[in-house]
Amino acid sequence: MSLETYGWLVLAFPLAGTVLIALSWRLGPSKLQGYVGTLAVALSFLSALGALFELQDRGEEQRQVVTVGWDYAHTVGVDAQLSLLLDPLSIFMALVVSGVSALIHLYSVSYMASDRGYTRFFAYLNYFVFSMLLLVLAGNFFFLIVGWAFVGAASYLLISFWYRRTTATAAGIKAFVINVVGDVGLVLGTYFIFKHTGSLDFVKAFGAADELGRNEGDLVAGCLLLLVGAFAKSAQVPLHTWLPDAMEGPTPVSALIHAATMVTAGVYLIARMHPFFEQAPAAADVGAILGCTTLLIAATIGLVVTDLKRVIAYSTMSQIGYMVMGVSSAAYAAGLFHLMTHAFFKALLFMAAGSVIAAMAGEQNLDRMGGFRRAMPFTFGCMAIGGLALAGVPPFAGFFSKDEILANVIAREDWHVVLGVLGYVGSLLTAIYTWRMIFRAFFGDPVEPARELEHGHLYHAPEHTNPATGEVEDTDVGFPGPEHHIAEREWSMKVAMALLAVGAIFAGVVQIPRVTDVLHNFLEPSFRDSRYYEELEPSGGLTWIGLAVGAVLALGGIALAYRLWMQEPARPAAIRQRLAGVHAFLVRKWYFDELIDTLVVRPFAMFGRFARDVFERVFVDGLLVGGPAGAVRAGSAAVRAVQSGFLRYYAALLLVGVTGLGLYFLLAAS
Amino acid sequence: MNVEWYLIVSALVFSIGAGGILVRRNPLVILLCLELMLNAGNLALVAFARAHGNEDGQIFALIVMVVAACEVAVGLGLIVAIYRRRLPIDVDELRELQG
Repeated sequence: MSLETYGWLVLAFPLAGTVLIALSWRLGPSKLQGYVGTLAVALSFLSALGALFELQDRGEEQRQVVTVGWDYAHTVGVDAQLSLLLDPLSIFMALVVSGVSALIHLYSVSYMASDRGYTRFFAYLNYFVFSMLLLVLAGNFFFLIVGWAFVGAASYLLISFWYRRTTATAAGIKAFVINVVGDVGLVLGTYFIFKHTGSLDFVKAFGAADELGRNEGDLVAGCLLLLVGAFAKSAQVPLHTWLPDAMEGPTPVSALIHAATMVTAGVYLIARMHPFFEQAPAAADVGAILGCTTLLIAATIGLVVTDLKRVIAYSTMSQIGYMVMGVSSAAYAAGLFHLMTHAFFKALLFMAAGSVIAAMAGEQNLDRMGGFRRAMPFTFGCMAIGGLALAGVPPFAGFFSKDEILANVIAREDWHVVLGVLGYVGSLLTAIYTWRMIFRAFFGDPVEPARELEHGHLYHAPEHTNPATGEVEDTDVGFPGPEHHIAEREWSMKVAMALLAVGAIFAGVVQIPRVTDVLHNFLEPSFRDSRYYEELEPSGGLTWIGLAVGAVLALGGIALAYRLWMQEPARPAAIRQRLAGVHAFLVRKWYFDELIDTLVVRPFAMFGRFARDVFERVFVDGLLVGGPAGAVRAGSAAVRAVQSGFLRYYAALLLVGVTGLGLYFLLAAS
Repeated sequence: MNVEWYLIVSALVFSIGAGGILVRRNPLVILLCLELMLNAGNLALVAFARAHGNEDGQIFALIVMVVAACEVAVGLGLIVAIYRRRLPIDVDELRELQG
């Protein structure tokens, strides 16, 4: 089969999956639907592999293929075509997305098994995979925006999956509103680019990018707007407040959307739009600085939060900060390499966290967890592997990818060196908060659920409650199901986690500095028009120093976490007492929620109240609607007075009228 | 044989009928006056027929008589119905069809 066919199949399978699952709702929740969903995404992954092989069969010069499915419109110079761009970058993203998604689908087959909304879950999940693949395979801005919007909708649907929980629906709304802000930025940015390049098609627009002036005002504005879109989707400061709240969704959703795939859409956008960003370095610099800021802010918050999933969420925000910093500093291969390895170990961490939360019967608070190491050895092993990869311990995957980004950023010289150094600080913090989480959850004295599990009995809470607010819930539609599933007991969860663990351990070999260059060479045709791709290479000395420093910081961070949370359990509390102000500031997430509330939410709410009370009631209802209505009513009242009901009055009118007419004609004729 | 005299008589009878409609309150009397007006019209028609020498006016007068008969039948039926319902037989009192 040809490359184009494979490309369309990659999209067709998840779409077919979602339609089939949705139409089969009458069968009631059944594992068959889960397997159909998993199969659909697995087939999509195989098609992406097929496309990969076809692409590599072609010569070096022909690796950017545009395939057009349908011509929607040719108007006003806009060509709206259903076209896919199949080149190394999009196939790479498609492989990562479909591969990790397939494993997460497999995990969810057992994890969500007792949920009444099982069918809905898999329909939404397949829909999400379809939208994400559409986003990465799109060949013009039009379909990029369509995929972007669909992904936002899927995220909303999945975050508010347990829709009877008010915390979940509020989180879904928050995520969607911030996403819409990003959508507006993306569309406006597209407009700017279209205005200057005259085409919505990627290949044509990139070709015209060279003619634009360097750092020209319009181009910088367009790129900044694209950055707004990227930041909203990838949860970077200042549009990041939705991501921690998004942990209200089921754990597989957090693993898929908010770790491995959707949040990486922003990184993909910046990498794809690199011709424009390289022509507008001001915007790229803004991106790099904000990426660095995010990674530090998120790392500091991750040190103090107590909800297991939120620690991992802040870690995601931080790692995406690395990726954004990387691709904004023109380290494209490094940033995308980290995207791949991060997808593996972050999804693994979320899956393991899901297993622990299931063992705790839905409780997510780290304060109530401890000592699960003996009760859940497999989960512990996966979490440890994920934690080592995230912290950046050699030879795990995260070590190579993170250090490559930082080495490339420092190799940019000038002020980028500061960003690189801050990135190393961030990696120390990463190691600390990751292993804080692992030591607290798995080491120490076993809590009651852990003890029960060691005796082979899965803990059931006396009543089902919302983990955030403690409200009591039932287990019917719209709430989590009554049963919880841990990895040790479900083969599908074990298989998915094991495969990801293998990826997290070995994926680093793809791009060992100075030894293998697989990804860099593979992605080269997509970045041929970049002026930094080949030139930006850290020197040998810089690379080795960077690797050494990275390894030392990672191991040092783990050691520090060990010291604080294992050997001297009273120290963290004492430090918290002494730095109470700092702790409060961090726990309140740097007051970003309050800031956005004051700057944005309150003015809009006030405007809404003004619109309802003053404008709608007085002006529209009173004047514009009431005015003509009142006039008509008065007029008809006047006319109604003629109908008095008096027979003689009517007769008189008739006679007077006839007489008048007769007189008139008589006089006129004479 | 001047046609004017007949027309003057017709006009006089017509105005007497019109005045009767405007002044009287009993529906039966109003019907009577209505008949007066119709017959005044008939008189004028026949006079003109005599004046022009053809029978068009006479034929139309016959048609008017048919219409008068139908309308009187309906009117008298209404008055009998009103009487049977014990409503006042006074055109000023019967004015609920208003608004």
